[in-house]
Amino acid sequence: MGEIFLSTEVLVYLLSETILGMVLLVAFAYALRIFFKWDFQAFTPEQFKLEQGAYLINTIAIFVFVMKFGLILYFAYTLDTLANLIPGAMCGAGVIRANGYGSPLLVLKLVILFLLILWFYLNHYDLESRTYAWFRQKSLLFMLIVLLVGGEWWLDFAYFANIDTHQAVSCCSTLFGQLEGANPLPFGLNTTTLLILFYLLFSVTLLSLWSKARYLYILSNLLFIYIAYYAVVYFFGTYIYQLPTHKCPFCMLQVEYHYVGYFIWFSLFIGSFLGINGVLISLWLSLPLSKRMGYWVMGLLGFFVLLCSAYPLVYYVKNGVWL
Amino acid sequence: MIEIEQLHKVYGERVILSDITLHIGCGEMVILQGISGSGKTTLLSLIAGLEKPSSGAILIDGEPIHKLPDRFASELRAAKIGMVFQHFNLMEHLSVAQNVMVPLIPYEPQIDRVQERVSSAMERANIVHRKDQLASRLSGGEKQRTAIARALVANPDILLCDEPTANLDHANALKFIEMMESLHQEGKTIVIATHDPRFNQLKVRHRTIPMVEGKLLHG
Amino acid sequence: MFSSSFWHFLTLQIFKERHKHLTTLLLSILLLFLLSSMLFIASSLRYVVMETLEGEPDFVITRIQGGDPASTPLEWMDPLFDIYGITQITPRVYGRYFVTPKEESFLIVGVDPLEEQSQKALKELLEGIDIKHFSQGDTMLVGQGVARYLKAHYYYDGYKFLTPTGEFISLKIASLLPVEGNLLSNDMVIMPLEVAQKILGYASNEVRDIGFNVPNPDERANIMDKVASLHYDLRIVSKTEMAQRYRDLYSYKEGIFLLLFIMLLVTFLLTLYQRYSMVYSSEKRQIGLLRAMGWSIADLLRLKFMETVVVVMFAFILGVILAYWFVFVWDAPLLRQIFLGSENLPNFVSFPPVVEFSTLGSIFLLYVLPSLAAVMIPVWRVAITDAKEAML
Repeated sequence: MGEIFLSTEVLVYLLSETILGMVLLVAFAYALRIFFKWDFQAFTPEQFKLEQGAYLINTIAIFVFVMKFGLILYFAYTLDTLANLIPGAMCGAGVIRANGYGSPLLVLKLVILFLLILWFYLNHYDLESRTYAWFRQKSLLFMLIVLLVGGEWWLDFAYFANIDTHQAVSCCSTLFGQLEGANPLPFGLNTTTLLILFYLLFSVTLLSLWSKARYLYILSNLLFIYIAYYAVVYFFGTYIYQLPTHKCPFCMLQVEYHYVGYFIWFSLFIGSFLGINGVLISLWLSLPLSKRMGYWVMGLLGFFVLLCSAYPLVYYVKNGVWL
Repeated sequence: MIEIEQLHKVYGERVILSDITLHIGCGEMVILQGISGSGKTTLLSLIAGLEKPSSGAILIDGEPIHKLPDRFASELRAAKIGMVFQHFNLMEHLSVAQNVMVPLIPYEPQIDRVQERVSSAMERANIVHRKDQLASRLSGGEKQRTAIARALVANPDILLCDEPTANLDHANALKFIEMMESLHQEGKTIVIATHDPRFNQLKVRHRTIPMVEGKLLHG
Repeated sequence: MFSSSFWHFLTLQIFKERHKHLTTLLLSILLLFLLSSMLFIASSLRYVVMETLEGEPDFVITRIQGGDPASTPLEWMDPLFDIYGITQITPRVYGRYFVTPKEESFLIVGVDPLEEQSQKALKELLEGIDIKHFSQGDTMLVGQGVARYLKAHYYYDGYKFLTPTGEFISLKIASLLPVEGNLLSNDMVIMPLEVAQKILGYASNEVRDIGFNVPNPDERANIMDKVASLHYDLRIVSKTEMAQRYRDLYSYKEGIFLLLFIMLLVTFLLTLYQRYSMVYSSEKRQIGLLRAMGWSIADLLRLKFMETVVVVMFAFILGVILAYWFVFVWDAPLLRQIFLGSENLPNFVSFPPVVEFSTLGSIFLLYVLPSLAAVMIPVWRVAITDAKEAML
């Protein structure tokens, strides 16, 4: 069990998470104090000190966000390198399933990323207002994020500590394959309908954003993420690997495929998170939608769809047939 | 332009300013006369928003600078207020031009625009011939002129000067007074805190308000 | 936010106050240099080991006696020919020959010069060496370390090996093995198979182990089971297991080193924190002045923080470049002893340049992240200096 901790990547990753956690704790302590004592209308020196403290929290939050972002990528990379140590694993998919902590950890990371983006929107608007209008909400959200990060930190250690390098895990072909004959796609879809839904939802998402239909946008973007995941794993992925039986969301992160997995998942998740959060904020704070946000979202999601579609198209052009 | 209502400032037990009410109109020149310790410096720093009052209000062009979050207060200060200090307060390790550009950096993103405005400010203050000289090597009068250039570079409407002639020789002091007179004629609102009697010889219209122990003695 | 005028002013400030950052810079470069060197050496070694293992046969079988490897009968090769999917069956004879009294040893490797070597590494070592000369039966090829040893002990042309039966076998040096392969071949002596058998005490129908390949990965598990069941005293080891063991070994060394490094790092961070917390009154006045000139706390935070970022990144780039030079051009004198362990025979090794993206990422995370985290609070404390300071 201990061997995992001596792997460089794991050590570096855990150390980084720990440092970020410590820094966040400091911010949390300030945030707590500020939350209870904040009174913008007061003229006391204490209030001014609180305002100064707010700057520390903001700085720490930005720092942590940027670093956490890089750490998620590093985490994905670490999982990949660990695949060499764990029997049976050929990519991150097997590594993540090495124990029960892996998948919840990954999901939690995505949730934290999502909330961090939300916090940034909130912070931006709060600073723009001349009276720190949403200070309380911002602080509450921040404290929630810190608590979640604490949970993530615990899960990090639990996950790595419980990886048994002598216990074989399933490879992605077992996890994602259709060896049993059962249909892994949701709602009993087949590949064609999956693709139709994929492009349809993409169009609806973009159109609803364009026409500022906020609730529709949130709904369609959420659905799009869900469907896109399956589309990438069960269709587009096979063109990336050029093997109709190779279905895996992790293998595409490897160097053989030019790390394209990072681009694909990044554009999908960041684009969606930016958009969903942007719209949520505009609903919550009753503010107009930001045009710039709209462009970014459309750009990222468009890039995602283009990148995915490129693989089967190029394959067809080169070989004259589909897989 | 500057409206001060019932301003109080205390440090712990000590009362620095009590019940200051003052209205300064656009283009006015006001001399706050009083010995050191009378609270003049504190009053100026409150007007500039560098300190917060214990109670009362300060409005710059209608904006409550005492209540704004730091970001907006700083923006307001940068846009509307230029300051000249008793000890010049230049950054000794920088040159004249580099000192003068300081107020513009957060607000003017293009460096060439910055350099343009710095040049014209230095010309206005008659210090452009020393623009690459290190601040530590300047004479008293030159330092003051650099400080003036710096105060003017953002083209503020208001100039606050704290004992500006205290460290100048007679000739330079007179030059300073001349400069203030000319700036007044350009329409700038000028507030000078001083106990230098030479300011009584000002050739332009001005108000002199004595300050004693934190209180204003309106005439 | 980071406009050209901001950068202009930032570089101005850093340059003018360079003495303030000098100690930090030097310490950082030193730390980074150490860290990067170690990681570069590690990744380079990993690469070499993996490359070598590439050439190893997929499976190796040995006979076990009392739980330990014993001499393997040559007949064990026969059933292997019948199993479909097995290729390149190679008997191997090799072992350690101890030259007393210093307990140093040679690695004796017996080869049949006429057969194709299943080991790529061996093949490469033998390339360019005149085999005919070698197969006369009384010559050997020696690695650089062996050659030096022999010379130091006045054996000029060859060496007399003592066999377990008490017989002496004299072998002349045919040629030296190339320097580039030193990581593996340093203490190697390559000789004809039959001679090796004699010196190492194997009978003519015995070998150390038998290697073979299974080109189709799907059949490997199957074949492994089949072969293992051929004899009760047969042990089969797969290449992947060997790879794992090597990786574990290097990982272990790397891990220990990293832990030590982290302790160093913590000291460094505390120094950083302290250094940037020391705000002299002159700096306080400067900050107060900037505030009086209209700089907001956010602007100040940006300025002070970026000052540190620039210093840190500069140290990062310099440290990494220095380490690259040290490891891949100068072959890391002193440091490499830690990784190569106490040498059997002194080894001069050349590290092939291997820079992985993850290595750089690890160095970055291990150094840049903690450094920036350490200065955040001091930087903030400085940035919120009372603007009043300027008025004094």
